[in-house]
Amino acid sequence: MRKIVIPLAILFLLAAPWIVSDPFFVHLMIIVLMWTVLGASWNILGGFTGQVSFGHATFLGAGAYTTMILYLKLGIAPWYGIPIGGLAAALIALPVGVICFRLRGPYFALSTLAVAEIVRLVALNWESLTNGPVGLLITTLPDVTFWGWSIDWENKTPFYYIIAVLALGAIAATYKMSRTRLGAYLLAIREDIDSAEAIGINTVQARVAALSLSAFFAGVAGGFYAMYFRYIDPDAVFSIALSIEMVFIAVVGGLTTVVGPLIGAIVLVTFGETFRQIILVGHLILYGIAMMLAIRYMPEGIWGKLRLWFGTRY
Amino acid sequence: MALLKVEGLTKYFGGLRAVHGLSFEVRSGEILGLIGPNGAGKTTVFNLIAGFIPPTGGQVLLEGENIVGMKPYAVTRKGIARTFQIVKPFRKLNVLENVTLAAFMRLPSRAEAEHGARQILERMGLGLKVLALAADLTLSEQKRLEIARALATGPKLLLLDEPMSGLNATEIEQASLLVRDICKEGVTIIWVEHVLKAIMNSSNRVVVINQGEKIADGAPEEIVENPEVIAAYLGTKRM
Repeated sequence: MRKIVIPLAILFLLAAPWIVSDPFFVHLMIIVLMWTVLGASWNILGGFTGQVSFGHATFLGAGAYTTMILYLKLGIAPWYGIPIGGLAAALIALPVGVICFRLRGPYFALSTLAVAEIVRLVALNWESLTNGPVGLLITTLPDVTFWGWSIDWENKTPFYYIIAVLALGAIAATYKMSRTRLGAYLLAIREDIDSAEAIGINTVQARVAALSLSAFFAGVAGGFYAMYFRYIDPDAVFSIALSIEMVFIAVVGGLTTVVGPLIGAIVLVTFGETFRQIILVGHLILYGIAMMLAIRYMPEGIWGKLRLWFGTRY
Repeated sequence: MALLKVEGLTKYFGGLRAVHGLSFEVRSGEILGLIGPNGAGKTTVFNLIAGFIPPTGGQVLLEGENIVGMKPYAVTRKGIARTFQIVKPFRKLNVLENVTLAAFMRLPSRAEAEHGARQILERMGLGLKVLALAADLTLSEQKRLEIARALATGPKLLLLDEPMSGLNATEIEQASLLVRDICKEGVTIIWVEHVLKAIMNSSNRVVVINQGEKIADGAPEEIVENPEVIAAYLGTKRM
């Protein structure tokens, strides 16, 4: 079954912009896939490792700013800037992890929130690098030609393919990680951190590794965000709302599942957009109620429940 | 030579003196019972040896090397494994995974680790439960799972924190046999217990602590006769 479903899903993902070419739908799919990467990022730390972060915007913002600054100041094209942004976020995760993982449970969660606020304030005030509250703007993206075929950046389709590859990469990395020894160690840490230490697992090292991997994908998504929206400012990319949205995507999709973040992103982005269309004022209330119902009746997440029917543990 | 030597171990929690100037040693191949009334500091001693809390003073020497200040995982890698008084299984993982995770420390390949884990589980009488979730085991089974997991790390010294608490008489008898078997296979054991009967029958030597200090150290037969021990456990007779 898996041999059929996975290629089919990938095929559908690649063909989607040809099936529905309406720019609004392509935009919606881009947003869904961007949130898939972010949900997958949060799931690695919050789901597999059981370490709740309320500050993942730190890494999204770090990736976005890195990609943007590299392009604007050094002329490095975003397709190099996006992976470098991911690496920058992973690098920032090292000291953040070493410091914050001294704390456990809710204290860790609060410390990540504090880190995100600190980074946001630094970005607001370090004007020579970040342009402060004014933000950074890309007016044109560099030309790219493949075999004499030049990419039209005013069209959304190229962005769709970039984010589709990133989302597939994030899901594949989650799958791969869940099957390694590190993945097993992370589950042990989630279940009981004292017992994990007692059987010889260096829990600080393992958690920092998980945070770095998680931060890499948040950073990559941040780089994509910068390139797609072409404008970032500290309040946009370091906002608490982004951090929280990542939590929702991962939780509603299904924690500790491989496919969950994709499902969470599809459902929540679609819900969000639909409510916005139906009621202009107060659509967030409906969104909030939907979220509460999902968490109340499906604590294991949508995919967490559905995957049993599909007979898979991923 | 002593496998483990504890010298002047001291721990204050703020103003509370939990362990004070405690010294004792464990010889290779013996079962050392560590007993004491409630709140005597038994579990604290384990936490100090295993690196879960740093001592205020003193030394813990494993084969002559001071291991004070090491993180718990590093102490385990040095060859000291422990169980917890209140069991701490990886609840949502199955029994085999619980033990395989511990076996990874010595056997990095999954196939080997699983094989090793199965052997240990077989010996601990959990061979038929390998696929059950740890959370679904009975207390007695969870206690054995704790021991299996500790053994999977291939320890020289095993710290058992009240493995008998909450078990019925038959289970205590079986568990005592199991502990003696483990010792026969070359694992030295320090055994903290509140159930005195089990420990008296199985230990080679017993150390008694009260209010964080050692009050007796000797063969089980001597310990039960020791007036200070009797006083600590039963209180002194008012004259």
